[in-house]
Amino acid sequence: MLKLKNVSKIFNKGTVNENVALSNINLEIYDGDFVSIIGSNGAGKSTLLNVIAGVFPLDEGSIELDDQDITRLPEYERASFIGRVFQDPLMGTAPSMTIEENLSLALCRNKKRGLKWGLNDKLRKEFRVKLAELGLGLENRMNTKVKLLSGGQRQAITLLIATMVKPKLLLLDEHTAALDPSTVRLINDLTEEIVLQKGITTLMITHNMEYAIKMGNRLIMMDGGKVVLDIRGADKALLTVDELVDMFECAARKKFDDDRIMLGLTS
Amino acid sequence: MLNLFLTSAEQGLVFGIMALGVYITFKVLDFPDLTVDGSFPLGAAVASIIIFNGGNPFLALVLSLMAGMIAGFITGFLNTRAKISGLLAGILTMTALYSINLRVMGQANVTLLNAKTMFTYLEEVLGIPRRWGFISAFVVAVVVVKILLDSFLKTQLGFALRATGNNPDMARSLGINTDAMKTLGLSMSNGLVALSGGLVAQYQGFADIGMGIGTVVAGLASVIIGEMIIGERSVGLATFAALLGSFIYRLSIGIALRLGFAATDLKLLTTILVIIALSTPRIKNLLRIASS
Ligand SMILES: Nc1ncnc2c1ncn2[C@@H]1O[C@H](COP(=O)(O)OP(=O)(O)OP(=O)(O)O)[C@@H](O)[C@H]1O
Ligand SMILES: [Mg+2]
Repeated sequence: MLKLKNVSKIFNKGTVNENVALSNINLEIYDGDFVSIIGSNGAGKSTLLNVIAGVFPLDEGSIELDDQDITRLPEYERASFIGRVFQDPLMGTAPSMTIEENLSLALCRNKKRGLKWGLNDKLRKEFRVKLAELGLGLENRMNTKVKLLSGGQRQAITLLIATMVKPKLLLLDEHTAALDPSTVRLINDLTEEIVLQKGITTLMITHNMEYAIKMGNRLIMMDGGKVVLDIRGADKALLTVDELVDMFECAARKKFDDDRIMLGLTS
Repeated sequence: MLNLFLTSAEQGLVFGIMALGVYITFKVLDFPDLTVDGSFPLGAAVASIIIFNGGNPFLALVLSLMAGMIAGFITGFLNTRAKISGLLAGILTMTALYSINLRVMGQANVTLLNAKTMFTYLEEVLGIPRRWGFISAFVVAVVVVKILLDSFLKTQLGFALRATGNNPDMARSLGINTDAMKTLGLSMSNGLVALSGGLVAQYQGFADIGMGIGTVVAGLASVIIGEMIIGERSVGLATFAALLGSFIYRLSIGIALRLGFAATDLKLLTTILVIIALSTPRIKNLLRIASS
C-alpha cells in the first residue's frame, strides 16, 4: 500500500554541512503491516517518517500510497489520512482545550468544519466509551484541560486522537520515549490494541529492542540513511534481543569502521 | 461617585467590545496583532462619515464592522500568504490605515454634534434619555457580541480556531488549514475592534485620526486585568473576564483623572500597568523562590 522508490533526502545540500539523511531507500509496506523501526541516533528514522508525512520535500525518488503518487502532496493534505504521535507528549494535543474538545477536533478530521456545535451529548457519550477503553479513568475528567494531565495520559489521548478516524497510515516516532517504564508498557499495550483492533498500517520507531521484537509483524533496522535489515513474520518472531543487539552493534561497528576509513585512520 | 461609576461602565462596555477583539487575537490565536490601532479609528471614521452625511447610524455600524474585517483580512493575508511576520504584518496594515482613515474622513476629525447618531434615534424614537441610552445600547451590544462569540468558539470551526492558536502543528495534523483560521480570527477580531470604534465615535460625538493610538495596549490591559481576577477556566468566563477587565481599566483611568493626572499621561500609566501585569507571574515566581 505504501511504496517508497529510490527515496533520498539530503539536508543542507551543497554546503559544508551536507548530510545524507536518507540514501536511496526502496521500501514497500503492505496493508495491515505493523512495522517497528530501530536504528542508532541519526540513522534517519525520523526523517523517513517525516518524508512520508510530507514535512519536507524529497531530493529524489517518489512515494506512493494506495497506488496514488503523493510525492508532491503538501503535509496538511496528507494529514487527512496519516495519523502521527511524537515523542514529546506536548505535541499531539491542544493543551488549553479540554479532553473532550481535543477529541472533537480529532473527529472532524477529513470533514469540513462548520458552525455545528463541536460537542453534544451524543458525542460526549461516544468519547466517554472511547476514554474508558484506555483504562486510565479519563472518562470522568472529560472537562479537564489537557495541560493538567501527565505525559502518559496525554500520550494515550494523542493515540486516540491520531486513530479516532481510522488513518491509512499511523506513524509513531518514539512515542513512549518520554515515559516511565510502567507507563511505557501501558501505552505500548494500548498501541497494540488499537492498531490490531482497527487494522491500521503502522510504522513505529523505538529504541527498545524488546518491544521492537514483541510488537508488530515486521522489523526494520536503519543505519546511515539506509535500511540494513528487514525481517518479517516467523523470522521476526524467532528473533531474540541478543541477536538484535548483535546486529545493531555490527551495523554501528561497520559505520565506525567506515568513518575511520574515511578519516584515513586505518592504515 | 455614581457618575464616575456610570461613565466607567459605559466606557468599559463600549471599549469592552474592542477588548473582546484583542482577546481573539492575543489569547485565542496567540497572534500579537497591532492592526487594532488602525482598525479602531477605521471603524470610527467609517461610522462618523456616514452619520455626518445623514446616513443610518445602525447601517454605519455594520459598515464599520465590515471595514474592520477587511483590515484584519489584509493582515492575515500579509502574514499567511506573503509570509511577513505577524507583528510586522499588523504594523504595515496599521500604518496604511492611517492614510486610509484620513481619506475616509476627508480631514483629521469629524464632529457629530449636529448629526443624528444612534443615540438620537434611541431618544427620539424610543424615548430613552441620553444617559440611559448609552448604557442600555452598550449592554445590548456587548451581550449580543459576547453570546455570538462564545457560541462561535464552541462550534467545530471555533474549536479549529482555538487549536490553531494553541497548537498549530497538532491543528495541521488534523487537517485544519491554520492559515485560513488565522485569517478568519484576525478578520473577526478587527471587525469587533472597528465596531467598537464606530460605537465610540457616536458615544463621544466625534472621530479623530489620532484616536487609535494605544488601543492595543488598552485592550491588552483589559484582557490581562480580567484574566488575573477571573482566570480562563472556560470560554464564557474568559470573555467575561475581558469585559470586566475593560470596566476596571476604565474605572482606574477615571480615578487617575480625578486624582489630577493629565489625560495625556494616561498612556504612560497604562503601559506601566501592562508591564507590571505581564511581569507578575515572574514576580510571583521570584517571591516563591526567595521564600523557599
Ligand atoms: N531538519 C533538519 N535539518 C538538517 N538536518 C537534519 C534535519 N533533520 C534531521 N537532520 C539530520 O538527518 C540525520 C538523520 O536524522 P533523524 O532525525 O532522521 O535521525 P533518527 O534516526 O530519528 O535519530 P534519533 O534516534 O536520534 O531520533 C541526522 O544526521 C540529523 O542531524
Ligand atoms: Mg528521531
